[in-house]
Amino acid sequence: MTRIQRETIANLLIVGFCILMLTWAIPTYTPPYPGYGASPALVANVAVGVMMAMAGLSLVRLLLARFAGKTLPPAEGQYPEEAQSTGFTQVGRINLYHLALFMIPCALLLVGIEYLSYVPAAFLFLMVLQYAIGNRNWVQMTVFSVIAVAVMYVIMRYGFGVPVPGPQFF
Amino acid sequence: MEMILAGLLDSLSPTSLLFVFGGVAIGVMIGAIPGINGPMAIALFIPITYYLTPLTAIGFLVGLNKGAFFGGAISAVLLRTPGTPEAAATAWDGYPLTQQGKGEKALRMALYSSVAGDVVSTGVLIAIAAPLATVALFMGPPEIFALISLALTVIAGIGTNSICRGLIAAGLGLLAGLIGTEPVTALPRLTFDVYQLGGGLSLIPVAIGLLAFSEILIQLERFSVKGGSGEHAANVFSSKLEDRLLSIKEFLASTRTLIRGSAIGIFVGAMPGLGAPVASFMSYDQALKRSKHKEEFGKGRLEGIAASESANSAVVGASLIPLFVLGIPGNLAVAMLMGAFMIHGMQPGPLMFKENAQLMYGIYGSLVIASLFLAVIGRFGLRLFCKAVEIPAMLLYPIVIFTCIMGAYLGRSEMFDVGVMLTFGVIGYFMRKFDFSYVAFLIGFILVPEWERALQQVVIISENNPTMFFERPVAMGLMVLTLFVIGKTFWNNIKAGRDCRQPKAKAPPQAEND
Repeated sequence: MTRIQRETIANLLIVGFCILMLTWAIPTYTPPYPGYGASPALVANVAVGVMMAMAGLSLVRLLLARFAGKTLPPAEGQYPEEAQSTGFTQVGRINLYHLALFMIPCALLLVGIEYLSYVPAAFLFLMVLQYAIGNRNWVQMTVFSVIAVAVMYVIMRYGFGVPVPGPQFF
Repeated sequence: MEMILAGLLDSLSPTSLLFVFGGVAIGVMIGAIPGINGPMAIALFIPITYYLTPLTAIGFLVGLNKGAFFGGAISAVLLRTPGTPEAAATAWDGYPLTQQGKGEKALRMALYSSVAGDVVSTGVLIAIAAPLATVALFMGPPEIFALISLALTVIAGIGTNSICRGLIAAGLGLLAGLIGTEPVTALPRLTFDVYQLGGGLSLIPVAIGLLAFSEILIQLERFSVKGGSGEHAANVFSSKLEDRLLSIKEFLASTRTLIRGSAIGIFVGAMPGLGAPVASFMSYDQALKRSKHKEEFGKGRLEGIAASESANSAVVGASLIPLFVLGIPGNLAVAMLMGAFMIHGMQPGPLMFKENAQLMYGIYGSLVIASLFLAVIGRFGLRLFCKAVEIPAMLLYPIVIFTCIMGAYLGRSEMFDVGVMLTFGVIGYFMRKFDFSYVAFLIGFILVPEWERALQQVVIISENNPTMFFERPVAMGLMVLTLFVIGKTFWNNIKAGRDCRQPKAKAPPQAEND
């Protein structure tokens, strides 16, 4: 996929999101105008309007570039667009497999902590995470997980007096 | 006068001193780790400050920020891997010195330059913020509305190559900030019937997700694609004393550069939207142009380090000027500090000098103390902090992810906030990949309540009459300036795009320093 195609899809998604917000979300989930002051929907509508206008403008520029047969620099590659990155962004291709590899354990932690309680769920989470990163030293993984879970438990429980998430089995 | 003394005494309390010291030490340590920067550290540590007094919390975060600015120089000098964009210019001369076995000397120069820039900048902040705030107190809702509009458009340009994408990100931030209870009707708005959203999205999980979690996702991706960096600091500490220590003569030889760098840093820091990288590169460029030894730059000249570090550290204090005077965050780190103020029930701006004068002078005291601690901690802990760059990624990443999760939970003790953090982590990942500015998003998110409040006041006072702006020359001027900034940025973008697409006649000559 070229950068023009990718940016076109991104901008189309933004326009779709804006249409959804303007036609359904904002009218449905915003209080009615109370009769004085600005409407509760005003700033939301302005924000979405600006987003839609900018996405539309970007689409027009991308379409013009496409019809003129131009390409957006630099050439595609694995991390080709770092030259375009600003230090705040890391422009590049989306790696969904990689994203899922780290997000699924995080999502499972949310569920697991409710059923298993903090200590076992956090321990398993850290073990899985280290494995996913590429660590295969089981002793190091176990020792690190135990220490990290214990230190966080002590900080939360005794440092801040905050109960750890999930059932309080420990 | 009593307020000043009371505030300064507060900043000298043992708890305050301990937390400022801890903030600086942790900041240097975190800044030294490639990939972790000041704003990210503040986002990770804001939840902890829930449990501190406002002065201790702000002192801790300010110390953290100052420490991280210097810490960024450690990885830049030792590994040529600047953890933050502002440390990039430091690496140009710092790393060649490391290769010559003079890494410690380079780091000492970076430390003393950082402290010098920081002290001057803090002095300027103390000298001018309160008088300027007195003037700013005359601003009414139309001026505040116009000022925030200007700030949002200026900031939309940070962290992206396109003003369109910047404005889209700012719009998304505004939208996210509107979720919660609408202030006039006190009814839920954009909550989608999710009761946990009734109080709005908390800044902590949003900031941790966008700043820290998404950054780690990207770094993990690079780590798995490219493998471990395999970079090791070599020849850092020579056994020769002259290679390790920085003589007074060597330091004083860069006096002009330090003064110039500090002045550039203060100017750039006080301007919303420019930031430390601009100051750092501008100062380096000036040092290069005015030096009699141009040929030595990029090959290990101490003056180059002094230029970069004095300028980027001077930004820290100066960037607090727009926050204290106008309530506008000029960069990401200050936006996070603004969030910390709001968490403690304070609205940064000119009224703070009136309503929380003792606290403000306490913060001034903490700023000065943090600079002194930076000098002491940096001087005596340099070798220890250098070890931070060698923390293996396989241990670092899991602990940062785990800290993100527990930090998001710590704010309100709700697992829902962890879900919010993970969601914004993914949103941040996509924003970074598609060059949408998460800086603009966060600043829009933080500023929208104040912006909407000002708008409501304008509409109510003027009885729905938009011509009110024409009767207020300052507000009118700011609105015109906002339109000018938008127009100018669009024009620059179009021009840059046209230049980019021009076929190149021939390849540019290889840069000497590359």
